[in-house]
Amino acid sequence: MTENSKERLAERRGQETQVYQPAEDSALLAKAVCKAVRQSDRVHEIGTGSGWVAAQIAAETGASVTASDINPHACRAAADRGVQSIRADMFGPFVDNAFDAVLFNPPYLPTDPDEEWDDWMEHALSGGPDGRRLVVPFLTGLSRVLSASGSGYLLISSLTGYEAVESIAAENGLTVESIHEQSFPFETLFVLKLTRYS
Amino acid sequence: MKESLLDIICCPIDKHDLELEVDEKDGDEIISGTLTCPECGETYPIEDGIPNLLPPDMRDEVTA
Repeated sequence: MTENSKERLAERRGQETQVYQPAEDSALLAKAVCKAVRQSDRVHEIGTGSGWVAAQIAAETGASVTASDINPHACRAAADRGVQSIRADMFGPFVDNAFDAVLFNPPYLPTDPDEEWDDWMEHALSGGPDGRRLVVPFLTGLSRVLSASGSGYLLISSLTGYEAVESIAAENGLTVESIHEQSFPFETLFVLKLTRYS
Repeated sequence: MKESLLDIICCPIDKHDLELEVDEKDGDEIISGTLTCPECGETYPIEDGIPNLLPPDMRDEVTA
């Protein structure tokens, strides 16, 4: 990432360099998942960032919501919003069938390796060369932690490659349904609902 | 964290259940303590109510 574009990103994100702050994509994910979740559900957000989405879902649905992030500053931010947070790498420390709903707003923007920088915000924004750096481990590990009737909710951009994501999901025994989408000038954002083949 | 969290967490290395040792509590909220995996012997700290369940080799590496 050039110094110039890094600055623009920092500006877009309100100068924040430690924790990804809620943006359009966060609101989209929160809205879609709130409609899908029931009060009795055990809900978990992977890569919670500021914890805003998890807190919204807890407040609006009354469901039991936990959140995790690899970034200690994000874990702190989520805890400060009243969300039980856990420092974790993806699904590492979660038991089989733990959740009825798992949501993830991953770093989904393709990022040139030469343009990477090195702080927590980079980790939160960069999806690697194809935008799927963390989408793939999410789709690979999801089934194990979902309850029998559970669903995953994944936010992606058209820049992440809808069909590529769909085919990786299929390889992992998951069906994909787009439950919400919104167009922006340079991309379309989708909230995908992922369920196991029955 | 609350003790009920033990229902959904496990050792990130071998997925074994964890044993809880409490150092400090505020009501039913565990502020600090240690989670131990009886299978591999690895320990995971709870600090400020947040369990750190990163595998040990990632704890130091993943800093900005």
